[in-house]
Amino acid sequence: MTRAAPGALLLVLALRPAAGQHVTIGPQLALADYREVAPGLRYRGSGIGGAVSARRDKLSVEAAVVRLSFDPTDGSAATTGFTATQVDAWIAYDVAEYASVEVGVLHRSADPEFDAQSVGAVRVGARSFYEIGPGATVVFRANYLAAPKFSGGGRATVSLDLGLGLDVRLAGRLHGTAAYAFNRMNRKTDPGGKGEIDAPIQQTLARLGLGLAF
Amino acid sequence: MSRHFSAVVLLAGLAVPAGGAAQAVPSAALRRAQQAYDNLEYRQVLSLARAALRERLAGGERARAYELLGFTYGAMDSILKAVDAFKQVVLIDPERQLDPNRVSPKAYSAFDVALRQVLLVRQLRVDSVSFVGGQGAVPLRFTVTQPARVVARAIGNGGTFAIDSGAWNGQVNLRWPARLASGDPVPAGTYTVVVDARLGQNTFSASQPIRVSHGRVDTLPSVASLPGYQFLPETEIPPQSWRPVGLAFLYTGGALVGTLGLESSSLGASSKRELGLVGGAALATGFVMMLRKPAPRPAAANILYNRLLRDQIARRNQDIAKENVARRQQVQVTVAALPK
Repeated sequence: MTRAAPGALLLVLALRPAAGQHVTIGPQLALADYREVAPGLRYRGSGIGGAVSARRDKLSVEAAVVRLSFDPTDGSAATTGFTATQVDAWIAYDVAEYASVEVGVLHRSADPEFDAQSVGAVRVGARSFYEIGPGATVVFRANYLAAPKFSGGGRATVSLDLGLGLDVRLAGRLHGTAAYAFNRMNRKTDPGGKGEIDAPIQQTLARLGLGLAF
Repeated sequence: MSRHFSAVVLLAGLAVPAGGAAQAVPSAALRRAQQAYDNLEYRQVLSLARAALRERLAGGERARAYELLGFTYGAMDSILKAVDAFKQVVLIDPERQLDPNRVSPKAYSAFDVALRQVLLVRQLRVDSVSFVGGQGAVPLRFTVTQPARVVARAIGNGGTFAIDSGAWNGQVNLRWPARLASGDPVPAGTYTVVVDARLGQNTFSASQPIRVSHGRVDTLPSVASLPGYQFLPETEIPPQSWRPVGLAFLYTGGALVGTLGLESSSLGASSKRELGLVGGAALATGFVMMLRKPAPRPAAANILYNRLLRDQIARRNQDIAKENVARRQQVQVTVAALPK
């Protein structure tokens, strides 16, 4: 799974800008909220990352990497924080003027390894985008996270990811970007072989950044 | 006796080609031969003319000497020798012509036989003419003295143009339309009409310079627009509306509703800080975009109208181009023969 993100990045970089094609790349700041198993296990964190996107005609590719430092929130049952590295990648194809279908991957690794669940999943979904003004586009996406794998085991038949995105051309090639992602995984695990118990995972993530378009 | 002598002198004078007596004869031998011929002293003519031919004579004098021999041999009934002498005459001066009304029938028939025994292209004439291109032709004529393969061409700065070719004998009349394969008239300029005749190893060429000139052609200019029709702007600025903020609200609302709907009840309400940031940015952007002047968008009807108008103009220009081609081809062509 970890090879997917560099592969997507390479794919993006291989797409040289040409007619009907553009590439945007830039850094991002991230804010996140992470909850797992029970209401008392709550973390809040921030971090930095980067994103790259490319479009050629109806095909678009997008990838983002962010490294987050999570700390337990007030009243959390957790005593120590952890860091997480999350990679998201999408390949989308426009099926209509304002809509496209997309597939991709989600990978989140936690360090220390057992302080939170590391997870990897395949994304399948759709997104809608609309240019609300000159150089300003809003995006809404809904992905089903298929076949998620957890470092602590278990399964999650219902895992969804919702997203809201904004891309605004600030000046010339400079773009401002904002992206929100909410994902919920109904993880079930059977730790002692005595039957499955719910161990849901829920994360909200906001990324704010700048992008340079080519 | 004297009356008879006067009659013979008169006949001899008639037998001499027109202008022959009046022609200046610088060679003394030739002058004396002419005098002897005038005096009907034929044997003396023969010796004097041969003596003259041994001198270095100009072409005209040489032809005249042979011509005296031809007439003299004709008068002395030596037809074969007369023919040989006349052959030399026409080889030196192919355009030499005898007036049948002024020379003896024997001499004329000997001259005629001589003409038929050498390959010549004679009396090449190009008539001066003026006609509209494609509706006329340049008449030209010449005489080939023996059956021969003949090629007529016009050679000039504008190129070499074949006029006609064939196996011909005698008087030949040709008509040259003076057009290129494309239908355009041959370029204006000076040309030389060359007629080459070939019979076995024998060849002969005759030429005639001509000048081809064109009249003025009034071609039509191509058009960039049609009267009464103007191109319309292909983009239009839509009126300002609440659509940007509405869409931002719709998308943000969708994310909010989705988040609220998917929140796990067992984990409690999720943080709205992240959605607040991004949703707020989307709503703010939508609000700004609502206030901004909307971006121009393509005006489909105008684009279609302009395309039709361009097609019409292109079609009109094609018609004009065709008409101009016809006009250029129908230029007034004037062909004038030039002195050699």
